[in-house]
Amino acid sequence: MPVGQLLIEGLAMGACYGLFGLAVVIIYKTSEVINFAAGEMAMFSTYIVFHMLTVYNCPFWLAFLMALVFAAILGVLVQYIFLRPAKNPTLLGLIVITLGVEMLLMGLASWKWGAEGQAFYLPVSYKVTYEPISGFIVSEWAMAVFITAAVIMAFLYFFFKHTKLGTAMRATQQNKHAAKIMGIQTDMIFAFAWAFSSVIGVIAAMLLSAKAILDPQFMMEPFLRAFAAAVLGGLMSVPGVLIGGAIMGLLENFFGYAWPAWKPITAFVVIVLVLCVRPSGLFAKHYIKKV
Amino acid sequence: MVQELNFKKRGEDANVYIGNKLVSPRITGICKFNKRQISSINKKGGEKAMDLRRIRVVMIVSLFALFMFAYDGQAKQETGFDDKEIRVGQWGPQTGPAAAWGNVARGSKLVFDIVNDEGGIAGRKIKYFIRDDQYNPSQAVAGVRELVEKQGIFAFVGGVSTASCSAVQGYLLEKEIIWISPCTGAATFYKPFNPYLWNMWPSYENDASVIAKFAIEKKKFKKIAMFYQNDGYGLDSLDSVKYRLSKKNMELVAAIPVEPIESDLSSQIQKLKASGAEAVIAFVGPKQAAIAVKTSVSLDFKTQWMFSYNLSDYEMMNKITDGLWAKEGVITSAFTQEPFAKNELTAKYTAAVKKYAPTERWSIFYMAGVVVAEPLVQVLKKVGKNLSTKAVADELNKIKNFQGVGPKVTWTATNHMGPKSVQIWQCGPKGEIITLQKWTENEISRD
Repeated sequence: MPVGQLLIEGLAMGACYGLFGLAVVIIYKTSEVINFAAGEMAMFSTYIVFHMLTVYNCPFWLAFLMALVFAAILGVLVQYIFLRPAKNPTLLGLIVITLGVEMLLMGLASWKWGAEGQAFYLPVSYKVTYEPISGFIVSEWAMAVFITAAVIMAFLYFFFKHTKLGTAMRATQQNKHAAKIMGIQTDMIFAFAWAFSSVIGVIAAMLLSAKAILDPQFMMEPFLRAFAAAVLGGLMSVPGVLIGGAIMGLLENFFGYAWPAWKPITAFVVIVLVLCVRPSGLFAKHYIKKV
Repeated sequence: MVQELNFKKRGEDANVYIGNKLVSPRITGICKFNKRQISSINKKGGEKAMDLRRIRVVMIVSLFALFMFAYDGQAKQETGFDDKEIRVGQWGPQTGPAAAWGNVARGSKLVFDIVNDEGGIAGRKIKYFIRDDQYNPSQAVAGVRELVEKQGIFAFVGGVSTASCSAVQGYLLEKEIIWISPCTGAATFYKPFNPYLWNMWPSYENDASVIAKFAIEKKKFKKIAMFYQNDGYGLDSLDSVKYRLSKKNMELVAAIPVEPIESDLSSQIQKLKASGAEAVIAFVGPKQAAIAVKTSVSLDFKTQWMFSYNLSDYEMMNKITDGLWAKEGVITSAFTQEPFAKNELTAKYTAAVKKYAPTERWSIFYMAGVVVAEPLVQVLKKVGKNLSTKAVADELNKIKNFQGVGPKVTWTATNHMGPKSVQIWQCGPKGEIITLQKWTENEISRD
């Protein structure tokens, strides 16, 4: 068994899942809504980068920055147009709205760019590989994933712990009405959370599509895994989500190598077992039930 | 004057009339009639009784005839055409996850557009219906039922996805509607024999066997692995490759399954790499084929990838693999002619695309739609005015060595199988098709 290689590939995919899981967690941390449109929002923004690269021949970094701006606007728009107008929404109602947004974005992408797959390029290629130690082949793509995940995790950890905005987001999640009384503009916080989540989502989606292909459905499967990673790590914990992603990636790779036929379900079985023991995930500090 | 008649007593218990009015025979006991009434009864009673007996007989015969007629009505009624049009249908994923294959249904339209532009067949135009099933079997069933029961369809052509085709197969057989041909090589469409379904696509079993033969005999590969989709498509092929290898006393060095939803294939590719496979025969979908080749490059796994005919659209595959299809010299089988082969028929179609469907790309999947429509048009032309399901079925059963832009087919009244031959192509450095082997039949076919 090529342990070193399985470790690297597992951690790289796990970092992608974890990174994308963060996009889910950020919205959950502020509003307790699971955003099922997260994958398609990321997909749509990735198509914007693709469009700018292929149609307008923009330099990558310009396209990248503009896609981040677009993703932020898309996040705010989704929250403003679809979620905010809901009258006395229940959590389930909001989740169903996100499912509708998912379908809408997928349909729009199919209409605009077609359902045929496309190759998506990053300046860091999966084709360029290094072998620093025998048996450990690392591609530029994998290195980019590790660095990006580490930077974003550090930033988010700092943001939620040590900034006023981060504290306001956590306060809004804990008690929306109390936060409002304390002067926090909760509507602004929700909009910001959606924008923030959308930006992180598109970064993860770009990394994933460079390894696979870009089509309107390409984020459906990674979303499920990222969501599972987030649940495993604890939906409230930023480092927990990344560790959950890493566990997910490693489990899939090692079990997938030993028993390929069982690969798709192995990680989910382990997650179910873990959640039986710790229902709020591995790294959530405590389980809060709102009344 | 009133006279009493005791019917029961006199035995006149039936068919008693007063004037033209029937007095029920069930009337028993004593009735009172005047003379005029008695006279009327005596005069008309006998002949009216005879008439009623006749009516009874006629009614019984009529009911029997009605029953016979109704029974006959449950058998095939000719629908789907009139003096002006012949209605033909197809379903396919125009939207949804497999919309890239939606051009199969649109490819068939090209053939019908050409026919209609030439004046139709025996005075009838072909009216063609496409229903979007979104690659969803339940949607396919709904679309097909709607077409059959509301529009009235004479024949279906094509149909993408083994699952969708399987879902409608029973219904079309029950309705005895002609179907040429599911766009799949799955065995379920020719085993057991279906008298109303004619296959144009080579079976996956034959396809895999010819690829394996090429790998062993022409390429002299000693270590061959298999990477297969974990469903009928992949499992039929796996079985066939194993059978082919067993004839040479060889075994697969690895057989790795993959689920159609998976997008991270690194562990599977590492397992293939560890097996030391010189060639990997792969029966997977386009997306996973692209990811597999990309992953093998990033893991420095050097092997000869060999895919099924479903991946012989080099232009599309090069696009989604960032040119790796050409760079890695991927080999595939093929069940059509080269898209830009220099012959009259190809020239006719490529010109027609420009005229009728300028936004479409003349590609393998688009051609697949043409392939399934060609035999129907051929046969409709032969049948001419005297159109019926039986007439068309009989002509289809006589097709011998028919070839349009697809493979050569021969059907009989007891054999509707697709061709057993495929070609072997390789993607050249510029994405061009290099024909490595012309039409080759699976000589050890178990079909």
